[in-house]
Amino acid sequence: MTDLLTLVVQQSVNGVYLGCLYVMVALGLTLIYGVLNQINFAHADFVTVGAFTAFFTATRFATKALGMPDTGAYLLSLFAALGAGALLGWLVSAAVFAPLRRSGADELRPLIATIGVSVLLENGQLALFGPIPYQFDSPLGRQTIRMGSIFFSAQSALVVIVSVAAIAALYAFMRFSFMGKALRAVAQDRETAGLMGINENLVIALTIVIASALAGVAGALLGPVVVLTPFTGGSLIVKAFACVIIGGFGNMEGTIIAGLLVGIIEAFTVQYLGSGLIDLVVFAMLLLMLVIRPTGLIAERKEENV
Amino acid sequence: MKRAFITIIFAIGAFPFAALAQDKVIRVGVLMPISGPGSYFGVMGKEGIDLALEQVAKSNLNGYRLQVQYEDSACSPLQATNTVKRVLDQLKPHIVIGEECSDASLAIAPILEQAKVVQLNAGSVTMKLTESGYKYVFRIFPNAEQQSAPLVKVAREKLKAQTAVILYEKTNAGNDNAEGFEKPFVAAGGKVLAKIDFGRDVNDFTAIATRIASLGKVDVLPTFALEGQQVRLSQALAQAKVVKGGGGPGVQMGSIWLPFGYDQKAGQASVGYVRIVQFDPNEKRKVVQDFVKAFQAKYGADKTPTHINAHAFDTILLVAEAVRRGAKDSETIREQFTKFKDVEVTTGKISFDKKGQNSDLSVVHFVETQPDLSWKGMSWQ
Repeated sequence: MTDLLTLVVQQSVNGVYLGCLYVMVALGLTLIYGVLNQINFAHADFVTVGAFTAFFTATRFATKALGMPDTGAYLLSLFAALGAGALLGWLVSAAVFAPLRRSGADELRPLIATIGVSVLLENGQLALFGPIPYQFDSPLGRQTIRMGSIFFSAQSALVVIVSVAAIAALYAFMRFSFMGKALRAVAQDRETAGLMGINENLVIALTIVIASALAGVAGALLGPVVVLTPFTGGSLIVKAFACVIIGGFGNMEGTIIAGLLVGIIEAFTVQYLGSGLIDLVVFAMLLLMLVIRPTGLIAERKEENV
Repeated sequence: MKRAFITIIFAIGAFPFAALAQDKVIRVGVLMPISGPGSYFGVMGKEGIDLALEQVAKSNLNGYRLQVQYEDSACSPLQATNTVKRVLDQLKPHIVIGEECSDASLAIAPILEQAKVVQLNAGSVTMKLTESGYKYVFRIFPNAEQQSAPLVKVAREKLKAQTAVILYEKTNAGNDNAEGFEKPFVAAGGKVLAKIDFGRDVNDFTAIATRIASLGKVDVLPTFALEGQQVRLSQALAQAKVVKGGGGPGVQMGSIWLPFGYDQKAGQASVGYVRIVQFDPNEKRKVVQDFVKAFQAKYGADKTPTHINAHAFDTILLVAEAVRRGAKDSETIREQFTKFKDVEVTTGKISFDKKGQNSDLSVVHFVETQPDLSWKGMSWQ
């Protein structure tokens, strides 16, 4: 019985950690959809850019140029990835989304444009970094924390802490800051928000910057966990999409719950059904959700989503 | 004057024909994954082939030269199929080298067979490639059976393993390796506690390691996956104290999938890992040491060639050897390959059996990763 309990707790811990990774990737997706009503297919590549930024910051710049200790270098790399993601988001917003919005393009063209950005980023990174997997070892990944029979790496703990902090910061920004309220107003009704004096273009650009910065941090957290190649983000984006759909497109709370749920279900699928069935179970759940509750776990009116 | 003019006109007119007669070319199509998670195969493969082409160009090939065209087949059966059709149509190759991944290699084999073009494979493990009756398929890489049987022998006799958990990716290669281990291991009295498969998109192996830890004492864990996943898998198993690298009792075992350098990437988690190697850069044979020197001269002194570099390098040496022995087209390359006996290359001595499989495993041996991450050699049998 004790063994069973230990196993359940251990797999739940594994699942929460995995779920937090999915949430970090999915939050940006759902944020952009909530405000712009658009899907950003390049989001996975923003994650990869974040991972590579963190890698080079931690292993080349911070440790070698600044002489920082490994842990400090890795923590610094999180901020570097956040900055790189934000910068990339601003560039894409200014170069792709804004011109298309000004030209009055329909919803399809920005969608296709994000596919173009994705291909560009993926191949650009392939040309720059090559396809051979990088060894991105976080010093925290080598430290195992044991609490009785339960174990997890310090990196897993960091993933959970950063995820919770990011969610809390995002929530506070949305609820209590002027720009956050403006962002929600644009999500509710772009035209009326404009009439109220809200700079719609600025708010949309800010949304993309925040979503991309989140993707950058997600990349920095993922880098030491996954196999780091120019295709890293792509391996997680499908699951992130599943979390967004299960949670309710554009709904942050729903995405967070769905992310954790998918992570925990995956861990228990591995334990009791086999890892080969992970995708089957997750996507069966997604289909079931689409049939039973097409609006997602937390069904709200569109304007309340973000 | 008029006669001289006519002579010049004839000479100019005859020049293209003379040039054509001298342009004796063996066209080689190379299908490798240059994109996707297996793309490190393609990059390393190209390094090996480029180096071999430089060396072969300096030697006498009976007046022939090798013309190579690289194509990205992405480890994907669909992309490999489309690519090989285009290569056949455009290049009209005499031989195709590739693919690395078993699924893709199997996909192109019937197309090349129908076109009567030789397929030389140096990286796929699936039994079906040389067991399907293809006349134009040749493979220098040991197949699943050739690798799995000795793995079982070492597991049972040297490591005294009673229990095993088999970990493998969901591909033809992974399945063949897993089955190849399971059957003889069980027949020899061992018990397989679990067979755990996973897709190439799985990144986090903590849940899998937890499951294995809950299965009780596991003696050996044969693992068949690409390098990136193997690194993370080893680290998760060490964290769960399943394998020696994490202070556990289990020994992770592997086939020739892993390139040189895996141990450094996995760190302490790789300690105790027992695996098969076909190419060892420390081997004393002259052909190996010459290759290592030439490789480092071309790509950097800090770079050690892997078995992927070596296998690709060898494919060109074998094509060149066939041409030296009189091959001039696909049919004669095939004939020469069937006659190969102890042709020495960096990955061993090549002798193809009737099915096109290299049967000489004299160079293949086991190594065990030491605490300082170096290799300790173990005998093959």
